[in-house]
Formats: sequence, C-alpha cells, structure tokens
Amino acid sequence: MSTSPSILSVLSEDLIVRVYECLDPPCRKTWRLISKDFLRVDSLTRTTIRILRVEFLPTLLFKYPNLSSLDLSVCPKLDDDVVLRLALDGAVSTLGIKSLNLSRSTAVRARGLETLARMCHALERVDVSHCWGFGDREAAALSSATGLRELKMDKCLSLSDVGLARIVVGCSNLNKISLKWCMEISDLGIDLLCKICKGLKSLDVSYLKITNDSIRSIALLVKLEVLDMVSCPLIDDGGLQFLENGSPSLQEVDVTRCERVSLSGLISIVRGHPDIQLLKASHCVSEVSGSFLQYIKGLKHLKTIWIDGAHVSDSSLVSLSSSCRSLMEIGLSRCVDVTDIGMMGLARNCLNLKTLNLACCGFVTDVAISAIAQSCRNLGTLKLESCHLITEKGLQSLGCYSKLVQELDLTDCYGVNDRGLEYISKCSNLQRLKLGLCTNISDKGIFHIGSKCSKLLELDLYRCAGFGDDGLAALSRGCKSLNRLILSYCCELTDTGVEQIRQLELLSHLELRGLKNITGVGLAAIASGCKKLGYLDVKLCENIDDSGFWALAYFSKNLRQINLCNCSVSDTALCMLMSNLSRVQDVDLVHLSRVTVEGFEFALRVCCNRLKKLKLLAPLRFLLSSELLETLHARGCRIRWD
Amino acid sequence: METEDDLCHNNWGSSSSKSREPGSSDGGNQTFAGFTSQQKWEDASILDYEMGVEPTLQVFDEMKASGQANVDFLQGVRAQAWDPRTMLSNLSFMEQKIHQLQDLVHLLVGRGGQLQGRQDELAAQQQQLITTDLTSIIIQLISTAGSLLPSVKHNMSTAPGPYTGQPGSALFPYAREANNVASQSQNNNNCGGQEFDLPKPVVVDERESHVVEEHEMKDEDDAEEGENLPPGSYEILQLEKEEILAPHTHFCTICGKGFKRDANLRMHMRGHGDEYKTAAALAKPNKESVPGSEPMLIKRYSCPFLGCKRNKEHKKFQPLKTILCVKNHYKRTHCDKSFTCSRCHTKKFSVIADLKTHEKHCGKNKWLCSCGTTFSRKDKLFGHIALFQGHTPAIPLEETKTSASTSAQRGSSEGGNTNQGMVGFNLGSASNANQETAQPGMTDGKISFEEPFSPMNFDTCNFGGFHEFPRLMFDDSESSFQMLIANACGFSPRNVGESVSDTSL
Repeated sequence: MSTSPSILSVLSEDLIVRVYECLDPPCRKTWRLISKDFLRVDSLTRTTIRILRVEFLPTLLFKYPNLSSLDLSVCPKLDDDVVLRLALDGAVSTLGIKSLNLSRSTAVRARGLETLARMCHALERVDVSHCWGFGDREAAALSSATGLRELKMDKCLSLSDVGLARIVVGCSNLNKISLKWCMEISDLGIDLLCKICKGLKSLDVSYLKITNDSIRSIALLVKLEVLDMVSCPLIDDGGLQFLENGSPSLQEVDVTRCERVSLSGLISIVRGHPDIQLLKASHCVSEVSGSFLQYIKGLKHLKTIWIDGAHVSDSSLVSLSSSCRSLMEIGLSRCVDVTDIGMMGLARNCLNLKTLNLACCGFVTDVAISAIAQSCRNLGTLKLESCHLITEKGLQSLGCYSKLVQELDLTDCYGVNDRGLEYISKCSNLQRLKLGLCTNISDKGIFHIGSKCSKLLELDLYRCAGFGDDGLAALSRGCKSLNRLILSYCCELTDTGVEQIRQLELLSHLELRGLKNITGVGLAAIASGCKKLGYLDVKLCENIDDSGFWALAYFSKNLRQINLCNCSVSDTALCMLMSNLSRVQDVDLVHLSRVTVEGFEFALRVCCNRLKKLKLLAPLRFLLSSELLETLHARGCRIRWD
Repeated sequence: METEDDLCHNNWGSSSSKSREPGSSDGGNQTFAGFTSQQKWEDASILDYEMGVEPTLQVFDEMKASGQANVDFLQGVRAQAWDPRTMLSNLSFMEQKIHQLQDLVHLLVGRGGQLQGRQDELAAQQQQLITTDLTSIIIQLISTAGSLLPSVKHNMSTAPGPYTGQPGSALFPYAREANNVASQSQNNNNCGGQEFDLPKPVVVDERESHVVEEHEMKDEDDAEEGENLPPGSYEILQLEKEEILAPHTHFCTICGKGFKRDANLRMHMRGHGDEYKTAAALAKPNKESVPGSEPMLIKRYSCPFLGCKRNKEHKKFQPLKTILCVKNHYKRTHCDKSFTCSRCHTKKFSVIADLKTHEKHCGKNKWLCSCGTTFSRKDKLFGHIALFQGHTPAIPLEETKTSASTSAQRGSSEGGNTNQGMVGFNLGSASNANQETAQPGMTDGKISFEEPFSPMNFDTCNFGGFHEFPRLMFDDSESSFQMLIANACGFSPRNVGESVSDTSL
C-alpha cells in the first residue's frame, strides 16, 4: 500500500464513481474492502440498503447519508422499541428515506409505525405486506406519512374499511396501492378510496370479497393503469362492463381465477380499451371464441396475454397470434387442446416472443419447440413443465438457436436425458433451470451443465435420483454464482458430494430434504462454506448428528429459515441452534424424536423475540408454557400446529 | 304609525282572504245550499278535543260566509281599531253574520230527512264550510277584542313594521326570538312591507301571533313533513299542555280511575255492571256512532307551544297527525329530557319509548367520525367522510383493547372506559401502551456485537461471564442468554415468564 500511491488517486471523483458503477456487486464489495476511495464513493452513492441486523442500523444510516431506500424486511428483531430508540438517537438522519420495506415485520405495531412515518418526512413508498397482525391502528399510524405515493398492504389481515379510510384520507396522493388478501375490506372502503385518491394508477384488489359496486367506483378512476383482481369471487361480467366505459387509461388487467367472469366480461374490457397491453385471464375463461378473437384483433399494443386453462384450438391460437403480432408473453398452461400446428402458427407470427408458458400442454412435441426456437430468437423464458413428448431433439434446437434463454422449466419432462442436458448447456445465459422429477439424467448430464452454465443462479434437481456426488462436485466447481439449489430426495448423494457445496459461497437457499446418506460432516462443511445461507431445509435427513447442528449454529449467522422436521437433533443442539442463529425467523420443528418438551420450551424461549413463523406438533400446544405462547403471539409469531 | 297600520292592514286582509279560500269557493256554496247534515254537525266534535275555540262559540250556529264581506270587515277592523263606533259596527256586522250562519244550519236541519241518500263528500263540504265560517267569525271576534287591549295593540303594530327600539324585549320570552323578530322586521322593511302574503293558519286566536318564529325542530315525525294539506281542508285541534302531559286521558265516570287507552277503560267499565258488557258498549265509540259512512273532516292537531312550527300560529305551520304525535312531539320538543341512557349516560330522552329504542342499539355498531359525529351505519359514516375533507373514521377503543390484550407482555395501560359509547373511541392515532422507552447507555451510540455462543460453556452451565455484559442499545443476544440462565438456574416457570416479558422488549 505504501509503495504505490494507488492508481485510483489519479482518477477524479466522478470517474471513480463511474468505475464503481460498472462493477458487479460482489466485486464492489471486494473493492470497498481494499480501497478507501471506493469506500467513500460507496458511502456517498449508495441509495438502497437491505439490513439483516437492525443493531447496525444507526451506524449505517450515519455512514450512508444519501440513502433513499431502506429494506428492513429481514430484520428479525425490529420492533417498536427499536424504532423508538432509533428515533431518539439524534445522529440518525432519516430525512432522505423515500422507500421503506417493512414486509413481514410483524413485531412493529402502530406505535413504531407512527414513529417511522414521522421520522421519514420524505416517505413515498411503504411495504408492510405480510404483516398479518396489522389492522386499523397500524393503518392510522401509517396515514401520518402524508406524502405516501405507493403502499403495499398485502395480507394485513385485520385491516378493515376504517383503516383504509384513514390511509385514504391521510395520504390522498396515493397512486399505487395493493390490498391483496386484506379480507376485511369491502365495497365501502374501495368506494371511498376511489372517491378520494383520484390519482390512483395501480390498484390491486386480489382475493377481496368485493362486488360489482366496487368496480363501478374503480371505473371512475381516470388515471388508473393497472388493475389486479385475481380471484375475486363476487365479481362477474356485469362488473367488468363498468370498465368498458370507465378508467380510460387502463393498460393492464388481471382477472385470473375470477370464477364468475366469462369471455363476455373480457370482451367488454377489450372493447373499451383498445390500447390495453396486458390481459391476464387464466383459469376464468373456458374457451376462446370467435367473437373474442374478433375484438382481440383491434389490440395493436397487446404485449401479454394469459389464458391458461382455456380451451384454445389451434386455429384460434393462429388467428390470435396473427392479430397480435407484438405479443411478448403468452401463457397457455393447461391449454390441453394446443398442438404443434397452433404452436407453429404462433412461432410464425410472434417473432418478439420472450416468455412462453406451455406447462401441461401434453400434445406439444419437439416440432413445436424447434419452430419456436428458430423463429423467436429473443425467447427468454420457456416453461415446459409436464410436456412429456419433449425429447432431446427439441432441446437440441433450443441449444442451437435460443442463446438468450435465461429461464427453462423442464420439470417432470420424462424425455429429458443427458444428451438433452448437453444441448441445453449451450444456452450459456441460462440463469434458472428446473429439472425436477427428470429421472433420466445422470452425472454425465449434470457435468455438462456444471461446466458450461456458469451464470446459473437457480438449479432445481428435485427427485433427480439418477445423479450422484460427482455431478454435484461438477456443479459446485462450475456454477459459482448459484444462490438457490434444490437437491431434495436425490438419494444418491452422500457426504462426499455435499461437502463440495461449500464452494458455492453465494448460496443462500439450499434444500437437502430426504438425503438419508448425509451426516453431520456434510452439514458442517456446508455451514462453514456457505456463509450467505439464509434458507436451509434438512427435513428427513435422519443421519445428521449434533456435530452438524453445532457447526450450523456456529457458522450460519445469516440463517433466516430452517426446516428441521424429522431430524435427530438433540435438546442441547436445538437450544444451541435457536440461541445462536440470531436471524432465524421461520422454523419448522415437527417430529423431533430426540427433543423433549423441556427442550422445546428452552429452545423457543431463547428465540421467542425474533420468530415470525413456527411449525410445531399439535400436542405441544398444551405442553408448552402459556407464557411462552403468549409471548410468541405478542411478537407477531404465527404458529402452525401440525 | 301610518305605515305600520298599512302593513298590518295588508297582512290581515291577505290572511283572512287566505282563510276563506278553500271553504267558500263557488262550488262549495252551491252544494252548501242543497245538502246538510245535522248529525254530522253534532259529531264534528270540536268540543271533544278542546280546540282553541271557546265552547260558547257554539251559540253562533249558522252563518253564511261571504268572502268579500270578510275582507272588507277585517280591513275595517284594522283601519279603525281605536274608534268605538267602528267597534260597534264591527259587532253588529258579526251579529249579522252569525245570524246568517244560524239560518243556514236551520235550513240543513229542516232537510235532515233527505240526508240518507246523499253523498258523503257533499256532507263533508257542508261541514267544512260551516267550520270555515265559524273560524272566520272567531278571528273577527278576537281581532276586534284584541284591538282593545293596549299591550297586544302595541305588539301587533310593532312586529310587522321596523323594530322601533322600545324596550319590547320584555315581551319576548327569549332574547333570540327578539332578535329574530328584529331581523325579520328589517327584511320586511327592505322589501317594501308587501311580503306578508304568506300562508297563514286558519285559526288565529293568539295575542302574540307575530312573535311566531322559526322554532328549532328536532325529533319530529318525518311522516308529517311530506303531508301537504291545503289550509282549511282540515280541522285543527289543540290540546292544552296539561292534557298532553296527563298520564291518563280516559277516566271512569263511576269510580274516577284513569286510563291511557279508552279500550282499557271499556274493559274496566265491565266491572261496573252488565249494561257495560253489551257489544255496543264495548265497541269502539267512533265507528259505532257513524255506522256506514261519511268520512269526517280530517283532524289535525296543533302544538300548544307558541312559536313552534307545529303551532297553528306558525307561518309554515305543519299540523300533527294524531294525538300520539302531539304527545310525543310536545314531550320531545318542549319538555325536559329526563330519561338518561343507562349505558352511555350521555343520551337523554323525554319519551321513554325513545330511550328504549336507543338503549337497544347503544354501544353497538357505533361508527364515529373524527369530528365526533356518530353514525349507526357504516355506509353513512363513509358517505360523511367522502363528503367532508379531512374527516376520518375514528378507531374504536375496543379494537385497541383486544390488540393490547394480545400483546400481553407489553403491560398495556390503556384507559378503562370501555362501555362509554361516546367516549370509548381513540381519536388520536396511535397511543399504545407506554413503555419505558429509554434505556441507559443508549445515547452512547455503542453497539455490542454478538459473541458466538460457545458450546463448551453451555455444556458446563458456566454462564457467569455473561452477567458482566452491559445492556446496550441493540444488544439482542443478551436476553437470550438471560433466558438460558434463568432456566438453567432452576427458576420456577412463573418467574421465568416474567423474565421473558422483561427481556424480550
């Protein structure tokens, strides 16, 4: 360091910033650690941060003065008191924060929320989704953030019209709100929302028990662009008719699984909005009729259409694709009538296709895949789950032509074999590959993947019993950027193979369910190597002994979710895990034969202030102390009794 | 005084011409000549429900009303109110009119035999005519008499004209009314004093008729509002205050016992002898006396409270439909609200039925706005919120109660006013249980990093060192260790539970 005064000193500040921006996130970290210049640049330019340990929050807020987005969704210990202390700490500057993610922060309640809302004056986006205990009081607290533009309240189960009204009145400038699964919301609340928040652009009312009256109110929103109403059981075609003459800016509509919606409802939407870009009508229309196709013809801007589960004949698919040539995404899963003829027509017409979902289209063969691969060179996502007729031939043309494919789902395709994997491996940009239930693949095929698909981020090998340790070793050597790996029920795997996983330093999600051959040694190796591990499933790994769990407790400080069902973990090991894994929020502890009731009591007591979700055997409900259960509940932990 | 007189003059003229209009139209006169009903007249029951009309007026049995004569007469009355000669001529004129009416009724009596075949509505019209004439006679009589009384004279003369600034406020029971009168007088003055052609009630018998002002209407029977009977098409009865408030209205003629309902009285009467047990004695009196037949002139009621909109003096008089309405109206509007709700202790009622209705719903489904207005229905509240900018629904305290009870360990200390419907809301946004928020050392900004939990230490149960850990701002491992320590040292479950609630905060 002292010998050369660093090449960076000759670069001006803005150049360093630009250099820094060009770096990959892992490289950035490295540079940050070795160069003060980059550290300084980072602290000045960083605008978003995701925090796992809330105890660092004040320091981080101090170090990064220009933060605008703060993600606290994975902080297990965030609660009202932490927030209040933060508020009292004068050094903390929260003025610039515009976006706040509090998803799953069930321990923060109205008091903390209000403090946060008052601290962050510039707050524009808040996400409190999956805070299942949230209700009207929390909504009232949030409403003090008057500048709010976007709000996500999915699954705030106790939120009622009153709470919504508080938000609506307090934050009348909202332009995006998601109320998915807020089951208490009724027509009254939606009506008020539409009356007051006239600037609303995006609205999600999925799963709500609202009626056509709500749609009538929604239709009055002049600026509405995106409307999601998945599975609204009370809405029918009559409601959708209001949309025909209302909401002139509408561009995206999702009516998936609305039981009472039929084609005529869709037609009325389409008739009123010739500029619509996205139409998701999966599992609600039974068939695509000629009259619908007539109206579809007028949609020059349609980019996405999902008609999963409908009876789509080849001829209608061809005419659909010929009228909407700009289609980029089409969802045809469970459209059992689709055959190669229709697919070839689609391939001929829609050259810009990027996403194609053909899951469970049993009659689609290699011919269709070849046609798609040859015509649609931009194809990025291809889902072929349960297309049993697909063989290596189809995959060969994919490997030849579809160089841009990033996501490939071949789950449950019998026809996929080692040769097929060899072809697939030519898709060098592949990031997500699902090969679950493909029993015909062996180490050889996996070796091809491991050696060529270096950009792979996710790999699903669920129940691929044909490959073993060598294949896994090849993967671990080649796919260094893997962060999600599913090896459940790959029974051939032993410690030797699993130990290799430790080379995957970026791995954060690992499923090892049902691997009877691995022991504590394998788990210890994984724990020591994969520092980023956040999710671990070792259900039914009966031979992992306490040494493995000790190691896990020692190394995996970032573990957030763990499934220990049917493991032979002992009382002490469980206590160790629960006390030392200080980020653990979601634990499954079913059928632990070696753990006593006292062991459970101990283990849960040490982590009761950070658990969000817990799965236990039902009899424990009466054996655990009531104080413990009350505390868990009060902290917003939801217990599933199995 | 000249102008005032003119104003009064106009006023009176117009009001009397109004009063004659419905009854004394040409058609009415024609039918009147032909058919009458003596029996009907008997049943007209002015006496039954003590009207403001004095019973002696029955002496004036018959008089043919002439609209024009009426107007002339009244103009005469007003123009020369202070002249005894005018008074005399007035009286003789009235006598003349009464004689006319008498003749008419005689005629009707004479033709009584032909009655049976006649149509009901003709009879009704006749009765209506006679009533109208009678009432106009009464008006004349009263106004004639009224002009002799100095205080009334003053009142009558000042009210329609500009307020003269005399210490007249003594005449007004409330200062507010006095102000109203004043402002109204101003208005009238501005409009040139010709604005008095307002609908007037048929019967004008009260001295302070000009003090009639908008009286606050509260709990009125809404059904009444829609009714739009032309003045004079109904007969107005006015009960006295004492009678309205009397607990019993039907009294046994033999023993004097009082009853609320005449049906109960009839039941009671059976005990006084067999003659009261006949079907005729037990039947409803009204139905019985008019067996088939002609509907009586519609009866409407006036509230005896002066200045009330339900009082016949009021410019926009709206009559009450039944005696029950009168009773409820009088109690609700002009009586003390002596019944208090036993649940919320705030709402008061003067009619016990209202109290019972309220108590049924008190505390349930109270939808409260931040402005303090309560609604029984949620949609009404939301309509209110949509209408008024900045209003928000208040979150009921019950909810905070439950959420507080779920966070058992938080030791919430919220107020205990649960069942006070009105008070039981948390208007402020979020004032949860207060906790000790400040921790010693938190301002130091120090942060303790967690140490890995050593397995060795755990096995030997050697936790001594952990006690030395200072309790710092975001320290989260320590509490866990305390838990372990607590358990390891064999604390009883109760104590452990407390330590949970302490440390997990």
